[in-house]
Amino acid sequence: MNTGLPEMLHCLNSSTSENCEMSVLERQRSRLKQQQQQLSQNHPPIPYFNGNDHLAYSGFHVDQALSDLVLNGGAMKPDPGVEHHDFRRFMNSGSATTDFQMSSALPRTVSYTAAASVNSAPGKESCKKRKADRSPKIAAEEKKMKGCAEEESKITEQNSNSKSTTTTISTSANKNSKGASANGKKASDAPKADYIHVRARRGQATDSHSLAERVRREKISERMKYLQDLVPGCNKVTGKAGMLDEIINYVQSLQRQVEFLSMKLAAINPRLDFDIESYILKEMFPACPPAMEPDHSHLQFNTSVEEVSGSGLEMVVDPMDATLRRTISAPITAQQSFLNSSSLNQIQQVTWEDELRNLYSMEYQQGRSTFISQQITGFLEANHVKLEM
Amino acid sequence: MKARSSLKQEFLEKWRKGLQIGRNDSTILERKDAIKLSADVAIAATRNAATRWRRALLCDVVSKNPTNKHVVEQILGHKLKNTAATTRLTTACRRRILRRGQNYRRRKRNKRSRALRKLVPGGEEMDGVLLLQETLDYIVSLRAQVDVMRRLAAIT
Repeated sequence: MNTGLPEMLHCLNSSTSENCEMSVLERQRSRLKQQQQQLSQNHPPIPYFNGNDHLAYSGFHVDQALSDLVLNGGAMKPDPGVEHHDFRRFMNSGSATTDFQMSSALPRTVSYTAAASVNSAPGKESCKKRKADRSPKIAAEEKKMKGCAEEESKITEQNSNSKSTTTTISTSANKNSKGASANGKKASDAPKADYIHVRARRGQATDSHSLAERVRREKISERMKYLQDLVPGCNKVTGKAGMLDEIINYVQSLQRQVEFLSMKLAAINPRLDFDIESYILKEMFPACPPAMEPDHSHLQFNTSVEEVSGSGLEMVVDPMDATLRRTISAPITAQQSFLNSSSLNQIQQVTWEDELRNLYSMEYQQGRSTFISQQITGFLEANHVKLEM
Repeated sequence: MKARSSLKQEFLEKWRKGLQIGRNDSTILERKDAIKLSADVAIAATRNAATRWRRALLCDVVSKNPTNKHVVEQILGHKLKNTAATTRLTTACRRRILRRGQNYRRRKRNKRSRALRKLVPGGEEMDGVLLLQETLDYIVSLRAQVDVMRRLAAIT
């Protein structure tokens, strides 16, 4: 494995380096195209991200897998600093990464596929063995990214084969890399079947505790990156604390929305039947055949769909106010058909608005959802009393 | 997106199944609880009901009110095993916690992660890494749930 290294270095650093680089870049590009085609053909887009971004995220996921193996595979002499730097650049380009950005990010990190030809079988076998213990872990971690699981295993195998040519290729191709291209000093753990293999970086402590700590920290930061994609508004805040705050707020607001929506549905329907609506809803999912509904209801529902889809998933927190205002009017008009006392409706109108205003003001505080539900139950019991009267 | 909408469709189907149990509730509060219960159980039963928070949520639902068990079983389609609560910790997670000393870790947790643990069902027993992973999955499912409920509410 190490015999291939001097040749590649020589090729890159020689006076004819340009030719070599061009060929390397060409190979990278062709390989990248192949991968993109594979990704788009064989696997459905990743379910959790928007349609525009699925390719970018599959690329991101590939990078994640690479960094996993880079850190834990132990079979190569990579540059984790460069990889992390790439990730950061990649992530900071925002959720609307263009294909160009992705294609420029990928060759840097996937660049070692170009050098796959250098390597020999033994390296592959040992990597396969270690990959076997990693694969349940990978499967557990990335089970959400099902579409890319197979791709990941293919690419990680390819990458595990390539060796330290990564550093030279990446530094030559990536002018912006930080000085962390100092190749790590290797301290390998004893290869046991159920241990994670880690390489220590240069100048860092190599005792087992700090290595384990570092592995754990890196896992945490990897997951924080996924969460950063998912939670809107996390791009501006950096650092674990701020992001955790955002995540906590987001989860709280989602849970409150569930409460609120279930209440709204309870208020709208006097009985718990949703059969008609389920037909309508099937229309909303594009893969399904249309339902048999009369035309005017079709038109009405189209406008509501546009309204809803306009808000989109990414703006869940911000237009909460807008949705609240929209939904204030809806239950009132619906209830008017069910309840026959106008005075009761007035009271309900006022109390709904107060309630929702309270809900919205509580959103960005550290309020607990139990408080909201207590408020709601209090209000409802008052209402219940009025209904009985 | 095809995969995402299949999650939502699955959620919707299971939700309807749970609602069809048809208890005659007269008050808004009871109806809301029934709706929310069915929705939560449905969203926890989508995909493979094997991730930590899903199991924890189902266990909580059943333990709070034993009559809910029918809803859960109807939605899941099979009987709940009583040992679900004990299988919460996977061996790896348990090993990690034991290795580091349970009390040591608990003392060191800061208030943010405590807050997050309270939010995610079953979060008390997860370690840091697993917590973030479960949060990720939970957020995705919650989003799907909210989206479907919102659309349904907008239509009716």
